[in-house]
Amino acid sequence: MSDLKQTLKEQIIEQLNLEDLTPADIKDDAPLFGEGLGLDSIDALEFIVLLEQNYGIKIADPSEGKDIFQSVNSLAAYIEKNK
Amino acid sequence: MYYIHTISSITNQDSFRNEDVYASLREFDKEIDVVAPDYKEFIPRNSLRRLSPILRMGLTCAMECKNFLDKNFDAIVVGTALGCLKDTEKFLNTFITSTSDFLSPTAFIQSTHNTIGGQISLGLNNHAYNMTHTQNSLSFEVSMIDAFLCIKDGKKNVLVGAAEEKIDFLEKVQPSLIPNGYPLASGASFFAISGEKSKNKIGIQAVATNFNSINLENEIAQFLAKENCEMVDLILTSGDVVKNTTSKIESINYLKITGLHYSSSAFATHIAHDFLKNNDAETALIVNNLCKGKLGLILVKKG
Repeated sequence: MSDLKQTLKEQIIEQLNLEDLTPADIKDDAPLFGEGLGLDSIDALEFIVLLEQNYGIKIADPSEGKDIFQSVNSLAAYIEKNK
Repeated sequence: MYYIHTISSITNQDSFRNEDVYASLREFDKEIDVVAPDYKEFIPRNSLRRLSPILRMGLTCAMECKNFLDKNFDAIVVGTALGCLKDTEKFLNTFITSTSDFLSPTAFIQSTHNTIGGQISLGLNNHAYNMTHTQNSLSFEVSMIDAFLCIKDGKKNVLVGAAEEKIDFLEKVQPSLIPNGYPLASGASFFAISGEKSKNKIGIQAVATNFNSINLENEIAQFLAKENCEMVDLILTSGDVVKNTTSKIESINYLKITGLHYSSSAFATHIAHDFLKNNDAETALIVNNLCKGKLGLILVKKG
């Protein structure tokens, strides 16, 4: 699971062009949107692409996104459950 | 006369925040793309991460013009021939190679030509008239004409400029686009103009475009006669040096300075402005005959 979280952080940085961040800057339980990394709705779309391209997971119900994309912890848990 | 109040250029030259670009000109340096400022000083980090070079250049120049003018723009007019090439290339490559059902949205959203104007609008929180002109090598000149029409229509302060970015793929296709051998370049130049006199009283007297140019020298002579301009102190040209019997000094081929991109006449206008500002001269003419059969003429004047 910790390997998955590390990989996820690297993929997030690359996909979202978070040039100034390293994986160590992203805490597992920190909110990704809003006051956390300050991501926005376009980033949410990028997350959907990231999950599909890297893990073959399609989010059938977009309303689930809010919970799935809450933090690296929630993303990793969703991937573990659905891959 | 449409007076230039502020100018900002990011180019291969040391042009950003330079009060006398003309005096500091050097030969085009192939080793560098553009001499750019630290964009983080101008653009919030969260916005910056998504912006390709052309958007960074365009938005920073626009912000710089706004900061010095300290007034809101009543119109934003942008010229670009090839637009946001990096994002277009990225999107198309993903489109061709991706095996998934979804594509990254950012590159697609930002691949359209009017993204530059859109990002300027967002960055300046300015929801005024916003127009992008794509007219090949005359995109900047056509944008200028639109800006003049905006002022004639009652708008006071207009931001007008042009931006282009190069990508490696352009090197491959350049010989079939513009086979003149000059090195490809990126760059952006923006101007805050209005009908009110500026501090140094330098402005654009007239802009003319001809998409069916046949006789360059006749057309220049006709343009100058129409504008009652008997003497030109400086000619900046994109092609062969123009034979000029009225000019006191030699013409300058600005492609040797700006490098080759479709809107380099915008930076030539910046050079002309600074030449007039810092020298005992009255008039400068920019002759843009970059593409065969297309002629753009810009008359910059002091007074």
